[in-house]
Amino acid sequence: MKATAAAALLLLLAVLAALLPVYWLATISLKQPVDQFAVPPVWIRFTPTLEHFREILFARPFLTYVWNSVVVAGGSTLLALLLGAPAAYGLARFRLPHELHERLSFWILSTRMFPPIISIVPLFLMMNRLDLLNTRASLVLIYTAFNLPLVVWMMRGFFEEVPVELEEAAMVDGLNRVQALVRVVLPLTAPGLAATAVFCLIVAWNEFLFALVLTQTDRVMTLPVGIAAQVTQFEIRWGAMSAAGVLAMIPILIFAFAVQRYLVRGLSMGAVKG
Amino acid sequence: MILRLVQLTKRHGTHLAVDRLDLEAREGEFLVVLGPSGCGKTTTLRMIAGLEEPDDGEIWLGDRNVTRVPPRHRDMAMVFQSYALYPHLTVEENIAFPLRVRRVDHAEAARRVGQAAAKLGLEKLLERRPRALSGGERQRVALARAIVRQPNVFLMDEPLSNLDAQLRLETRAELKRLQHELGVTTVYVTHDQAEAMTLAHRVAVLAGGILQQLDSPINVYNQPANLFVAGFLGSPPMNLVEGRVDPGARGIVVDETLWPLPQGALDRLHGRTQVVMGVRPENVRLARESITGAVPARVYVVEPAGSECLVVVRLGRQTLTARVSADVNLDYDQAVWTQVNPERLLFFDPASRKAI
Repeated sequence: MKATAAAALLLLLAVLAALLPVYWLATISLKQPVDQFAVPPVWIRFTPTLEHFREILFARPFLTYVWNSVVVAGGSTLLALLLGAPAAYGLARFRLPHELHERLSFWILSTRMFPPIISIVPLFLMMNRLDLLNTRASLVLIYTAFNLPLVVWMMRGFFEEVPVELEEAAMVDGLNRVQALVRVVLPLTAPGLAATAVFCLIVAWNEFLFALVLTQTDRVMTLPVGIAAQVTQFEIRWGAMSAAGVLAMIPILIFAFAVQRYLVRGLSMGAVKG
Repeated sequence: MILRLVQLTKRHGTHLAVDRLDLEAREGEFLVVLGPSGCGKTTTLRMIAGLEEPDDGEIWLGDRNVTRVPPRHRDMAMVFQSYALYPHLTVEENIAFPLRVRRVDHAEAARRVGQAAAKLGLEKLLERRPRALSGGERQRVALARAIVRQPNVFLMDEPLSNLDAQLRLETRAELKRLQHELGVTTVYVTHDQAEAMTLAHRVAVLAGGILQQLDSPINVYNQPANLFVAGFLGSPPMNLVEGRVDPGARGIVVDETLWPLPQGALDRLHGRTQVVMGVRPENVRLARESITGAVPARVYVVEPAGSECLVVVRLGRQTLTARVSADVNLDYDQAVWTQVNPERLLFFDPASRKAI
């Protein structure tokens, strides 16, 4: 009983610590500039205003940023899953000579072991060469490349959890391997796919550095860069930035809630004697 | 459908898992492949199903060579040791799966699923998912999925091994009846000699990837082809003692003790010196007083088993197990006389390990 109370208290503290910045962001987006940095801070009793939201939504190309972010994050996530999941399946199911399946897996992971910033100059030059500077396509390609190793590693684990006998049973029952993959393995790894997709989306949605370096105009800027652009030569528009931050959270929240059902694991339990 | 394996061979690395196996399952036959773990029986079954490709040899289904045919075109049904039910589908969808895949029309599929479910008593469970079923129920769903279409062959990989003892006996009987009613050629793999004895029309005993014997259960039990089969079948196993043939003394000398043999047995051993003598526990008799052809021994341990009693006796360094009636009253270290039924004695060559 005592342990439960302590655990509850700890959880409460953790939740508070996680939510406090969100609360701060949300309130700043609703405060008049005069209240924003009042000392002592105004926690609750301030006169709310939607002025910053109005400014963001109508006076700036905010919706263009949102659309760019949706295209870039959605596109790179889709591409990473389309390329990564089959690779992960292959590495999970087939034994290659000389332990190549293990070596390949590690080699794929090792591409994430250097800090991304060291690749930024070569990538800039490559994109320049390909005539892809200041395009959404360049970001889609780069985010796909960065998410691929994580997709492969996460999905490999999920595929390995599906008993081989299920596929074999499906093949004896009349399917070929690809059909067995689609009709038996994929439904069982749907939670894994959902978790992986959320992960990729968040990474791509929040990415700032490459987007900053590779995009220059409002037409192709993503949200993080667009928000940062509120820091201008003359002023820092805290209210507008906060309002944009609040709006930027919404799509990710919606998506996470939508796939929450799949995030609950354990669907594959009971397949084999449990 | 007749299933025929011709010189079937499979290597796992350098290890020969199945070694030039010739085997035929006749039309409608219940063929049990019996052997210890690692004997190649599961590999054989997987090659029949098409889940593993043989390195050599052929698999014939009727007059069709299916050696390189993918599993989906062999039209066989398999029951896996783990059942391999699809966890995202209900019981009904699991049973219907092979029909859906084959695009059987809906009304016909529903009718056949109903039949299969009725046959296995699953009508009340059709809406459940596998994870909400007990082990025995899962096992029955796996069987229903196998019988829902009329396949060429049933393949079963230790389907009873995950059930508890009571349920295993019940299911064993049901399975035998089911196979009889359907009359589909069945290849059943097990390491359990009791399953092999009770279920099979014929038993194929496999060891080290090599077929040791293929015969009816009763013949495999009574006339094992070699020492491996003799020791593997029967519970408790056959008594095997090695001795020296002594024609002058008209018997076999085991540890200085002479076992007298009838003339017929001596004729069979003509010209040999060392032999292994085999006798089933039920063919060993114990007596309190000396009788003709009996050898003195001491009771080592008595194991009552309800309807009968197992008595282990020692003769010098050898031990023998006797299966006697339950009302026997013997104590530790008691002196007894041991006699074997000479009609039921088996002899093996210790070098070739084959029956004489």
